[in-house]
Amino acid sequence: MVEIKFLAQVDKKKCIGCAACENVCPTEAIKVVNKKARVYSKKCVACPNCSGVCPEDAIKKIPRSEPLKLGLNPAEADQGALVELCKKAHLHPHQWLCLCSAIRVRDGAAAVLKGAKSPEEIALMTGARSGCTVYCFQTMMRLLKAHGVEVTPPKGYRWYDSTQTLWDVPEEIIRKYPVHLLEEDKGVFRKV
Amino acid sequence: MLKKASPSYIRKSIYGPAPRQRAAELPWLGALEIRKLFPDVPVEIYIEGGDVSVIRKATRAALKNVNMDMIKPEHKVNILSSQYGFQIMGGFAYTEMIRTIKDVVEEKTGCKKIRLRVCTGFRIREPNEIIEHYKLNEYFEGRARGVASIDKGVPIETEIGTLYGVAKVYDADWIIHAHHGELRELDMHRMINRAIKPFAMSYARMETRGVAHINFGPRSSNFISRVIFDSPFVQSKFTFGCFLLTSPEGIIGVDAGNDLYELDRKLMMIAFKSYGKIRELLNEIKECIVVLDATGEPRYMVGGGTTFGNLTEAELDLFDLDVIPVSLGYGLYERPPGPKVKSVNPAIKALVMNHLWLGVPQMELPTHIPTIVVGTDLAKILSVDPMNHDFMRYVVTSENLETAMAFARSIAKTDNVFVFDGSFGSMTCSPSLAEYLLERAPAVSKRVDEELMPKWLRQRGIDPKMAFA
Repeated sequence: MVEIKFLAQVDKKKCIGCAACENVCPTEAIKVVNKKARVYSKKCVACPNCSGVCPEDAIKKIPRSEPLKLGLNPAEADQGALVELCKKAHLHPHQWLCLCSAIRVRDGAAAVLKGAKSPEEIALMTGARSGCTVYCFQTMMRLLKAHGVEVTPPKGYRWYDSTQTLWDVPEEIIRKYPVHLLEEDKGVFRKV
Repeated sequence: MLKKASPSYIRKSIYGPAPRQRAAELPWLGALEIRKLFPDVPVEIYIEGGDVSVIRKATRAALKNVNMDMIKPEHKVNILSSQYGFQIMGGFAYTEMIRTIKDVVEEKTGCKKIRLRVCTGFRIREPNEIIEHYKLNEYFEGRARGVASIDKGVPIETEIGTLYGVAKVYDADWIIHAHHGELRELDMHRMINRAIKPFAMSYARMETRGVAHINFGPRSSNFISRVIFDSPFVQSKFTFGCFLLTSPEGIIGVDAGNDLYELDRKLMMIAFKSYGKIRELLNEIKECIVVLDATGEPRYMVGGGTTFGNLTEAELDLFDLDVIPVSLGYGLYERPPGPKVKSVNPAIKALVMNHLWLGVPQMELPTHIPTIVVGTDLAKILSVDPMNHDFMRYVVTSENLETAMAFARSIAKTDNVFVFDGSFGSMTCSPSLAEYLLERAPAVSKRVDEELMPKWLRQRGIDPKMAFA
């Protein structure tokens, strides 16, 4: 369970409605409506993105009156299906999904099995992407794709669909670059 | 008898409050000179506090034979820089190298539209702090801009499909790769094509950084940098690279060239020679207290001319390609409650956080090392760090540095103290640690020369007999 203690707050006087914040929010918690950014508190995971990119310094984080609790219990998922999904994604259930909020791959897998269709939905079901918002993204995409979800990139540049893994590198490319030890690293992952 | 320690300058930032007292001011600590440990570590031309004109002179000399004919007066050129360069010895040398590149390109090509891009990791506002602090917009006539991994992307077609750079990096006719040879994130690049790593990091969108860090392995991560750099898109814009060369002694020179792979090979040889012995010496430390007291996040904080990451991972010889580290996306399958995202050297018995910046996930530190945060200001900012949600649950706070050190010594039961205060040329430490390291250094030197260096070189297809000929 992740406790989100803060919430983004927009200073309407400063906001110029540029939508820079909208393009970097990992949970679609901030949108420009009538030329002003609006925060949807139930979706805000208090990551540093919107306040970081705002050119007018119009967004700050304020304490929530009550923490937003996000998370699910992976033990409630079908364990056979969960392990199978992780294997298909070449991930271990105990591997990290989100380093910042200490969430494991099994949580993300459980979210996907429960019906999550996008990284945004996994984030809101697990509490992931509430920190750096970067390193969890690939793992989420791998789980979604392994489950057969057809992901559609959002408008703008919130994320792009680019999920190459070691397992996707063609044999001729592996042979072309022996110095990068690609085949040898596959061996490391196989042990995992 | 140790000399007086000289910690590096701390830049003002929203990411970490200024310390009330520097660790180097503690009377029982001093500076152990690197050359007393290893006389053969490459010697510096510049160290913090020195005259930066030597950097200008070295940069001009390095650029003398670089081909810039492709740049025409009407073109736009982006000089690409990375935030960590500005953390090396206060950032003055890196800044001077960048300014000199601009001046030389203008002189040689007549081009006036030379822009600066300052790229960052997770501290989104840091580039603006850098641009303001070093007055880079004044120098670049309003053409300096920050770059974050979440900024708008640009597709780059590679041999393994579409990867993404940051649009602002590539929005010019030409790019100049202005970097440094400092040994950070060795667990990621493993000194395989180190010189091109920023193409999958600093200059890349967050998806592509994730591909390199999470989806590839303990030695293949930097393959992503390579396919990006080799892509027709990047090759159509690349002009030359210019590198600040470093050793634990300081800045040892500047090198530049149109052939980045040739530069990369030189950088690798310098890294082995510069950092091989000090890294191995860190593995000799069996117990110590570490004090963090410099600009930046802990793992990239410098002490004795090398990063804290090299101490936390000292038990692993990361130059040795047979070694598989625990790192980010791979090998992480231990059961809770062990939130280890990277290796943590058990020799670190206590960690005193006197000054640091937020900016990376680092829960492995407080959950594996007894940690004391100095001062309520630092504690306050750490308590709201989104990248380490539960950080403050695992640490204690001390009112000042003196009491923090006393507490650290009582729990660590050692007098060995190693301070990461940004210093090059010397290591700020306690007399007991200095004495121990001086005793161990000759054996380490012999082991590196006779066993390890030849192995590192052979693993990368280099004949050890010819390597430094």
